[in-house]
Amino acid sequence: MKDIIQIQNISFNYSNQPRLFDGLSLDVHQGEWLALIGQNGSGKSTLARLIDGLNVLTKGQILVAGMPVNDANVLKIRNKIGMVFQNPEDQFVGATVEDDVAFGLENRQVDRQKMHDIVKQSLKSVNMWEFRDRIPANLSGGQKQRVAIAGIIALSPEIIILDEATSMLDPRGRQDILNLVRQIKEKNHLTVISITHDIDEAAGADRVVIINKGQKIDEDTPAQIFKHPKRLEQIGLDVPYTSQLIAALSKRSVHAAKEYLNSEELITWIKQLVSTT
Amino acid sequence: MDQAISFDHVTHTYQAKTPYAQDALNDVSVTIAENSFTAIIGHTGSGKSTLVQHINALLKPTQGTIKVHDKLITPTTTNKNLKEFRRHVGMVFQFPEKQLFEETVIKDIMFGPKNYGVSEADAKHAAVDAMNLVGLDQSLAEKSPFDLSGGQMRRVAIAGVLAMRPEILILDEPTAGLDPQGHKEMMTLAQRLHDHDQMTIILVTHQMDDVVNYASQVIVMDRGKIVKTGSPAQIFADPEWVYERQLNLPSSTEFAQRLIDAGIPMGKLPLTVNQLADRIAELVAKGDSMNE
Repeated sequence: MKDIIQIQNISFNYSNQPRLFDGLSLDVHQGEWLALIGQNGSGKSTLARLIDGLNVLTKGQILVAGMPVNDANVLKIRNKIGMVFQNPEDQFVGATVEDDVAFGLENRQVDRQKMHDIVKQSLKSVNMWEFRDRIPANLSGGQKQRVAIAGIIALSPEIIILDEATSMLDPRGRQDILNLVRQIKEKNHLTVISITHDIDEAAGADRVVIINKGQKIDEDTPAQIFKHPKRLEQIGLDVPYTSQLIAALSKRSVHAAKEYLNSEELITWIKQLVSTT
Repeated sequence: MDQAISFDHVTHTYQAKTPYAQDALNDVSVTIAENSFTAIIGHTGSGKSTLVQHINALLKPTQGTIKVHDKLITPTTTNKNLKEFRRHVGMVFQFPEKQLFEETVIKDIMFGPKNYGVSEADAKHAAVDAMNLVGLDQSLAEKSPFDLSGGQMRRVAIAGVLAMRPEILILDEPTAGLDPQGHKEMMTLAQRLHDHDQMTIILVTHQMDDVVNYASQVIVMDRGKIVKTGSPAQIFADPEWVYERQLNLPSSTEFAQRLIDAGIPMGKLPLTVNQLADRIAELVAKGDSMNE
């Protein structure tokens, strides 16, 4: 499988702060949904910033679509990457919702009629077209994030990095946005990197990477990663709900064979247990 | 129980008298009891934040009245009279760490009390107390708030609100963006302020697990109206109704629903993982005894 992002033996620290990364390597496969999980301060967001060339490495290199992230390539690379941050307030520039989504296209000198079509389509895809004349500041947190995501979609990037992008949305809105990004990902063959604390969001990824204190602890499929719920807990992450229930049952002397089962497996097991009559 | 807050037919219209006028609150009447822990839930844009911003008079009603303790806010209340109001109602906004601005942690926390004319010494005393309350080590007092981690910055911001010694504390999605450990610490803090410091806590949240684990009373909002109030058990007893409001069930209630769908009897819907585990353990024990 082709690697769209290659992180090779990188070191980095913010000025006057201890080293965050020391020889970290990680590949992101083209077309995958990769979840980066870890505590606040573990370096997940910094990694996203390094990929986008917003911070400069002290050692090693990062390749995006084969191009090293450096001054010469940074604009080309940023055109390939759409970043959605946790707090959309930081990202608004337009006076209205519609203007805001158009901003990135204006920067790229997209033809006016075409721009209108793209903005309309993008806002419709996040269910915010009817809000196009509103002032972004007057929207609710979740609505703002939808607009921010529309702004990214409008620029049709190859890679979308969601940096805790759904953490302000209500559970339904979160699921809607994730489904939406998933659709766009499939349709346009995108690669998605999702930086998240939401264990359910990570469960839907193709691969999960755990970062702790700048170190890559593990990378594997969600099912493999979740086999070690105690490790997740130790590094301050949430434990999947099914593992919580298995642990609670265990305290009541009802023991499962494994510490992690997915929902279907757990339901099947419980069904067997209670219907032994 | 005494009521801390009451809304009497409150309507709030944003951008009133413009073509964009829209009712964010529509004829809302509700009371919140003294020393209660109340969760306000509702779909994105349902009016939760607008509702709580009336409690500390950041917004005035377009129609109707709000009573907080013995003080009244009406559409005609002058801004001058609102200051005293706000002193008793602490408001922690979404991402409160964005509002930090002082050179040091202690100065930032002292800003509120000093703004209300408290002496330097008393403000410092209040700030030190507030740092203890939120679990910030005193060694951080002279540091720049901007050198702290996100979770610590949020606690500084909350300490700044607590230093005013409010009787009512409003937390608007206080755990958004925190990692799971930060989340747990934040909710434990809210619980302690309620149980130990006898504060009335109002929590705006999308986290239904927090609602069942911490709140005793729930207000459900939908399109600017209050559509239900009750205990968590009352609110979540009707999953269909919850889904229609575009809300989720607590994890354990949702999982119990799936067990019911798989033909496993549940009886009263569980709200927490312990309630669900109790129920399953009961069923297992019953199955075992029937086998003997």
